[in-house]
Amino acid sequence: MNIVKWWWGLLLCFGLVALGRVFLPLPFAIEVLIFSIYTMGCNYLLGRVGFISFGQPAYLAVGAYAAAFYFFYLGNNPYLGLLIGIVVGMVVSLIIGPLFVRLRGDYFALVNLALAVIIFYLMQKVLANVTHGDNGLWFLTSLTATPILDLTRPDQFFIFAFLAAFALWVFYKYLDDTIFGALCLATKMNDDKVKSLGYSNFNIRLVAFVIANTTTAFAGAMYAVYLGFVSPAITGPERAADPVVVTILGGVGTLYGPLVGSVVYTGLKDVLSKVLGNWELVIGFLLVFIMLAGERGIWGSLEPQLRRLFTRKAAGGVSQ
Amino acid sequence: MSSKDLVLAVSGLNVAYNESKVLFDVDLNVRRNQVVACVGRNGAGKSTMLKTIAGFMRPTSGTITSDGESLIGRAAFVIADMGIKYIPQDKKVFSDLTVRENLELGSYASQDYDWMPVFDYFPKLKVLLDRKAGYLSGGERQMLMIGRAILGRPKMLLVDEPTEGLAPSIVMHLRAVFSELAKKTALVIVEQNLPLVCAIADKIYALKEGRIMAELTERASIKPEMCEPYL
Repeated sequence: MNIVKWWWGLLLCFGLVALGRVFLPLPFAIEVLIFSIYTMGCNYLLGRVGFISFGQPAYLAVGAYAAAFYFFYLGNNPYLGLLIGIVVGMVVSLIIGPLFVRLRGDYFALVNLALAVIIFYLMQKVLANVTHGDNGLWFLTSLTATPILDLTRPDQFFIFAFLAAFALWVFYKYLDDTIFGALCLATKMNDDKVKSLGYSNFNIRLVAFVIANTTTAFAGAMYAVYLGFVSPAITGPERAADPVVVTILGGVGTLYGPLVGSVVYTGLKDVLSKVLGNWELVIGFLLVFIMLAGERGIWGSLEPQLRRLFTRKAAGGVSQ
Repeated sequence: MSSKDLVLAVSGLNVAYNESKVLFDVDLNVRRNQVVACVGRNGAGKSTMLKTIAGFMRPTSGTITSDGESLIGRAAFVIADMGIKYIPQDKKVFSDLTVRENLELGSYASQDYDWMPVFDYFPKLKVLLDRKAGYLSGGERQMLMIGRAILGRPKMLLVDEPTEGLAPSIVMHLRAVFSELAKKTALVIVEQNLPLVCAIADKIYALKEGRIMAELTERASIKPEMCEPYL
């Protein structure tokens, strides 16, 4: 019964995104999907493990630049570029993870922010002869058409992004239902108690860190393929809070939060930036409102209402 | 008796919080299936002793061994994996997880998926399986914590103030459970409830200001009035 329920929700959400593709501009729909994948990692870290990270752009840049280096210097197969982005993201997370996951709270947030700043300056200045600094790496025209889904065509890229986001949602839902998902929540709630049961918090956090940041690197590689261009702006410190903002907007730790947050954030950005110069101000007020309204985010607040509505309808149906 | 016959042997244990010394040359021995109680006033160092044995604190000096193996320097999760389970005083369960998920965490760690012994001791947990642990009463939380800890048949339970703040009927229930558990595992209980302690303990250590002041080993001497001077 539960399986039916969550599949319903998932199909409804993705059905709306697919429908949105008909009415909304294609770039907007693609941006929402990639951004929701980008946010999924942050959502898992924050909602399940209790890690707040202001350094997600660093992992996004790792995936984006890994793919970009491949496209610019080595080859031109978009699928291979995505795979390289994922693998490099995983390797970097495995190297950095053991150092970072020992930290908690503020220190974890700030050490990740520091990493984003380091990567920004590495790409902008230190490695400028390889990365072309602020000019970035351009490779859109060199990407080759691929069979089945041609990722060089935006309409087919949308289908790929849609399927990838859907698969990742199913994966994270599955993760939530496993003993590992329960352990992540447990370590967020009470470190010592997890240890007293015989588990290593370090290992739990490390695995979660690698999963989340590999997801983020995948989003980075998707940006590289979709835009055909990568510059240091992708890891700019001024964008460091974006995934955290979207996570909070959508609802921390909720399954649909990243998608809802991405739709609202990207939508507001697109609509408001045409009317208002300082659209971030509206996002700021929205965040303040959400925090004051109970810290549950948009989906987190809607979910109980929807559940009540559907339960009432189901009960009504039975009594008839 | 050699240290290999002891499920726990603590010798010359000194523990400090930074500059503030809390335990002074503590010696303590626990045999298999023995119930050992530690009594003393608040601040006597009882909980610190349990936390140190469980690996949550590092002693400044002294030895702690279990079945001849040193526990010093081992991580808390490794000590738990060796079958020494610590049940803290705070009664904090994983509140966002259900009772079932809480038990599953215990099962997965110990690879023991037989919950019948848990339900034999605490039948109430069986009907609460799908309830979020955060909604349990204090007594139910304590049952869950003990139930989760006994999965995997640990060789020793370190239980910190298990009856604190609980209703008399629950205390009676726990007393019966501890008596039963003692047939299968060693118990080290830190407790201020003297009637309970005296009813189940085979040995009592009385702590005062971080030092062991008395060790009552004769069953006949284990009486509340013998412990009262240390409370």
